[in-house]
Amino acid sequence: MTLNLTRRATLAAALTGAMALSLGPVRAADDTIKVGVLHSLSGTMAISETTLKDTMLFLIEEQNKKGGLLGKKLEAVVVDPASDWPLFAEKARELVSVNKVAAVFGCWTSVSRKSVLPVFEELNSILFYPVQYEGEESQRNVFYTGAAPNQQAIPAVDYLMNEEGVERWVLAGTDYVYPRTTNKILEQYLKDKGVAAEDIMINYTPFGHSDWQTIVSDIKAFGSAGKKTAVVSTINGDANVPFYKELGNQGISATDIPVVAFSVGEEELAGIDTGPLVGHLAAWNYFQSVDTPENQAFIDKWRAFTGNDKRVTNDPMEAHVIGFNLWVQAVEKAGTTDTDAVLEAIVGLETPNLTGGIAKMLPNHHVTKPVLIGEIQDDGQFDVVWETEGTVPGDAWSDFLPESKMIEADWTAPINCGNYNTETKACGGGS
Amino acid sequence: MITQTLFRALDRKAIFVVLALLVVAVAVPASNLYLPAGHPLRVPNHFVPLFGKYLTYAMLALALDLVWGYCGILSLGHGAFFALGGYAMGMYLMRQIGDRGVYANPILPDFMVFLNWKELPWFWHGFDMFWFAALMVVLVPGLLAFVFGWFAFRSRVTGVYLSIISQAMTYALLLAFFRNDMGFGGNNGLTDFKDILGAPLQSGTTRAALFAASAIALALAFLVCSAIVRSKLGKVLVAVRDAESRTRFLGYRVDHYKLFAFTASAVMAGIAGALYVPQVGIINPGEFAPANSIEIVIWTAVGGRGTLIGPIIGAVLVNAGKSWFTGIFPEFWLFALGGLFVAVTIFLPKGIVGAFTGGWSALKARRASARAEEGTGLSGDLEPSPAE
Amino acid sequence: MSAIRLAISMIAALLLLAAAAPSMAQTDPLQALVRALPKGGYGDREKVILELAATGDARVAKVLDALGRGDLYAVKDSAAVVTATGRGSTMDTADPLSGETLGKMDKGALDRIRVNNRLRRAIDSAVGQLTLMGGSPAMRLAAARSMLKTADPDSIEVLDKAIAAESDTAARIAMEEARAAAVLKSAAPLADKVAAVDTLVARGDREALALLTGARGDASAELLPAIGAGIATIEDRLAFWSAMQNVWYGLSLGSVLLLAAIGLAITFGVMGVINMAHGEIVMLGAYTTFAVQEVIRNSFPGLFDYSLAIALPLAFLVTGAAGIAIERGIIRWLYGRPLETLLATWGLSLILQQAVRTIFGPNNREVGNPSWMSGAFELWGLSITWNRLWIVVFALIVFAVLLAVLNRTPLGLQMRAVTQNRRMASSMGIRTPWVDALTFGLGSGIAGIAGVALSQIDNVSPNLGQSYIIDSFMVVVFGGVGNLWGTLVGALTLGVANKFLEPYAGAVLGKILILVFIILFIQRRPRGLFALKGRAVDA
Repeated sequence: MTLNLTRRATLAAALTGAMALSLGPVRAADDTIKVGVLHSLSGTMAISETTLKDTMLFLIEEQNKKGGLLGKKLEAVVVDPASDWPLFAEKARELVSVNKVAAVFGCWTSVSRKSVLPVFEELNSILFYPVQYEGEESQRNVFYTGAAPNQQAIPAVDYLMNEEGVERWVLAGTDYVYPRTTNKILEQYLKDKGVAAEDIMINYTPFGHSDWQTIVSDIKAFGSAGKKTAVVSTINGDANVPFYKELGNQGISATDIPVVAFSVGEEELAGIDTGPLVGHLAAWNYFQSVDTPENQAFIDKWRAFTGNDKRVTNDPMEAHVIGFNLWVQAVEKAGTTDTDAVLEAIVGLETPNLTGGIAKMLPNHHVTKPVLIGEIQDDGQFDVVWETEGTVPGDAWSDFLPESKMIEADWTAPINCGNYNTETKACGGGS
Repeated sequence: MITQTLFRALDRKAIFVVLALLVVAVAVPASNLYLPAGHPLRVPNHFVPLFGKYLTYAMLALALDLVWGYCGILSLGHGAFFALGGYAMGMYLMRQIGDRGVYANPILPDFMVFLNWKELPWFWHGFDMFWFAALMVVLVPGLLAFVFGWFAFRSRVTGVYLSIISQAMTYALLLAFFRNDMGFGGNNGLTDFKDILGAPLQSGTTRAALFAASAIALALAFLVCSAIVRSKLGKVLVAVRDAESRTRFLGYRVDHYKLFAFTASAVMAGIAGALYVPQVGIINPGEFAPANSIEIVIWTAVGGRGTLIGPIIGAVLVNAGKSWFTGIFPEFWLFALGGLFVAVTIFLPKGIVGAFTGGWSALKARRASARAEEGTGLSGDLEPSPAE
Repeated sequence: MSAIRLAISMIAALLLLAAAAPSMAQTDPLQALVRALPKGGYGDREKVILELAATGDARVAKVLDALGRGDLYAVKDSAAVVTATGRGSTMDTADPLSGETLGKMDKGALDRIRVNNRLRRAIDSAVGQLTLMGGSPAMRLAAARSMLKTADPDSIEVLDKAIAAESDTAARIAMEEARAAAVLKSAAPLADKVAAVDTLVARGDREALALLTGARGDASAELLPAIGAGIATIEDRLAFWSAMQNVWYGLSLGSVLLLAAIGLAITFGVMGVINMAHGEIVMLGAYTTFAVQEVIRNSFPGLFDYSLAIALPLAFLVTGAAGIAIERGIIRWLYGRPLETLLATWGLSLILQQAVRTIFGPNNREVGNPSWMSGAFELWGLSITWNRLWIVVFALIVFAVLLAVLNRTPLGLQMRAVTQNRRMASSMGIRTPWVDALTFGLGSGIAGIAGVALSQIDNVSPNLGQSYIIDSFMVVVFGGVGNLWGTLVGALTLGVANKFLEPYAGAVLGKILILVFIILFIQRRPRGLFALKGRAVDA
């Protein structure tokens, strides 16, 4: 009994001691520039975000090999916001005010970005956000290096309409803001193109939906109306594997009803047997299979870094590459990592992307990107079947929505705001 | 009458806890606001909302302890009451934005403009007034708990069945709030708040005030809980926990007592949620996740259930540990946290507080047995050893 | 400077010419067309495919088939086109026309001839026309089916000839339907078209409906009533079958729930451990499948179809051993404190998730379907996918075996004795700690083999367990803790109810309604569907 108690007491004391020590700020050496990495390493989003953390470590290591930045070494500060949205805000605050990072690269879901926005605004720091998103936002402290809706969805629909002759559309998505916005824009766009309302079916499913039997058979039924039908899928990560498996098993092949996806990339396909999916499509701004010297060099170095010669690359990784290179250039141009100086310097800078084009930082904090449409191959890669000529500038406020078509974002003088109303010649409230 | 009850609640230990909380409520904001930056005793800016958040979690754990530790109802759905309180506050904060939203609509919040809603849904009316929102913070969780408890306790749903249906409740709410059609902002929830009662949320003073409010609310909740558990009602609750059927056979309306504790606890959780939202700046359906409710149970267990101070200590320690571990071992913190839960359940069955008081009474017992030759009786309140 | 280089290049050119001469001498038009395939864009390729099909040569089908499958490659640095198969850095090549093997070639020297959806459709239609007359009945059937989809009026003649020569009934019916589809699109006389409508109505499935709706658009006024009536007939039939289909979907969802919950019915239902790590045990089973398939892929590709049979016992052993370790290490300290098992197992589930994430990485892992679990078949008007069918069968087998173990074996007897009255059982000489460990091991092992089955329809990722844990608890509690039959009935009821609500309420609202239903149901029957009676209740 006595022994028992002592053991317990010691353990408890050790626990409290450890916790008490915990809250001291982390000391930093002054000869480094710190870069925050805010990606979930546990919880539901770890599946997508962990790779981006590795990408950032890789980019920082490469930069240090080149001699660092402003004569200092870069140092990554990695934290785990654990797919918990309020924790994103807390960790962002910690990165900026405790670790004193010069910029943060991070977030994946819209809600995590929304959660950290006020923090970056208040503490005046910089966030690079690498994922395709719903638009309708432009904030002074955030750079959106992923695709805006006009850089992904609209060209994909054009392709299906012109090349495959699709007349009937299923817009299937997970019920959250990105699919809702994308589908709203697409619905308007299709109607403008003369598609009748009964030829559009919209369906929303919850996160992680795994039983697709009913919905796939509904799609099958919808597709049997004698018109060429396609599915535009904004289904989020985890739900895709069971969705594609069900499609394959119910015998819907790409030649019958092609599915074009905006959230399925090489990483997601790595978990699926792609044999039955050959021919289904995805629209992105980057594919691993793009044959350019820059891309090949990047893939080789990435595989050497991870020590895994099968590791795939994907679109959000390229967005981080672009964002990081632009930030490095801006810091060099400004000669400091001071937020205001970097914000001033970065607009208008250009960096080569990995597909042979140029990514330019626009005044609305979005970048120019090419749009590529790829067909899934049986090796889990995409074969580019169509691409835009040149790059498309990202549009923060969609021109296809009545409430936002008169809004522009311009973070350069004299407008200097994220939601300038071209009709009233004034900035809206808020950010 | 009420003052008398409250006064009786103030035994030595309770006075100490309440005083400590009040000191924290004054000292932390004061140090943050009035000491110069760089002063060794100054509480850094980012610690204020962080500690404020821990305090609201502590209040939530305290609320759960009232039903679990004292009444034996293991609710796996307490996160729902917390989140509902949070949503009520969030709706108030949302209405306060007014025309400063991105679409500059004076009435509709941004997400409604975006979903093409033309007018405010009926359940959003009134939330532009603070008193109404404050009323709803208490009323909505309280009402839900009352209705849920009314059905469940009357039908004598107990033990694991109750735990699982409370989990079903929070899960159903999670799915419902995820739906954009519900009118609560879907997955993104409510965010981008500007000010509360006219004070900008991002200013240090507001933060300090919210912190103080959280600490005072926690102190009040502690007082109320001590009053409840020391009253005759509290004794009946403990009786229900230890032998429900026997209590019923003695003529007590067990369901009424349980219903009271459950509703009171839900109201407390709602208030904690309302204080939580302005400090973290977002409320979204993730708060309804069953995993969150399980975590509350864990804080309480780690601190020590059946004691009022235990859940407060547990909530603060576990969350501080989480904040710390996610920063320093981002890849491995789950091992540490998971290991902590396993270790606490096996080695500290009464939680941290239980271990200390257990150690204390064992010490007393040893002294007593040293004095008297046969130390009988005193060691009776030691816990039985875990493996029988 | 350039004189020598010029000389060298001229010699080289001469040599090349000499090498190329024999093949040029063959002047096989087919050869030239095949060699034209890699050139130009998709539009050019489509023209070449049509030309190839127009030759009517029997060898073309094989070439086009290889092209459609993506097995046709252009050899870099020469004009040759070969078929190439095999994984790894070298591939086995063969001549596409003659089928003669050309030996191994380095993958780097080959360039795949790419196709897109439009080309695939063109290939399907061309291959259909080519194989209609030859090959096995199965090939002719497949050809007729693909022609039904393309419904090309130009193919009527070919089909007529094929129908006349056809001996196999199934193939002939398929050809007649394909012909009917083509006739509807052609300029045939009214009587023929009405007959075609009848043929399609007799087929009566979604495809027939699609063809008829498509034909309604440009049908003449005389034909419209026939088509309208046909569509109505088919729709009536489909409405009935879609209700049946829903029952099937419900059963299949129910069997997934049953599989996920049945292990929990032992660890939670029988032993009373609130086992929050149950989902992670299921996940371990799924990862075992992945590991088995990975070994098979790399070392014994021929065994792939048996991978699940190998994975099942392995998963049972791995997760059963994990279960015994968990019981011995953690749970046994907590008997008599059921609610606290929740905390310890929750901590354990965090550890297991993160461990899998660290070992296997955070991404989804690929678990393939063996060929006998891929695809679907038609049964009357139902479309049943093989993997779902096998999962239903498998769930029922697991259930039956478990029931037999609990009720018919000495171990089962001891398990029931220990869980019902531990002291008494112990007094009777049963080694209770040993039985506890085995019971928990059995429950975990069952969860592990459920993981093998679930890996066939869901993600294999560290989050796998999380998505099933809540549903599993709902099923066990709804059915009544401690009763296996309750779990079976509970799972199937919830599955079917969910699928019947889904078309009306949508997937999300349907699920919410089910949860509300469970809450209300527990008010009516506070101990679930099949409540245990007697002294065991308060234990």
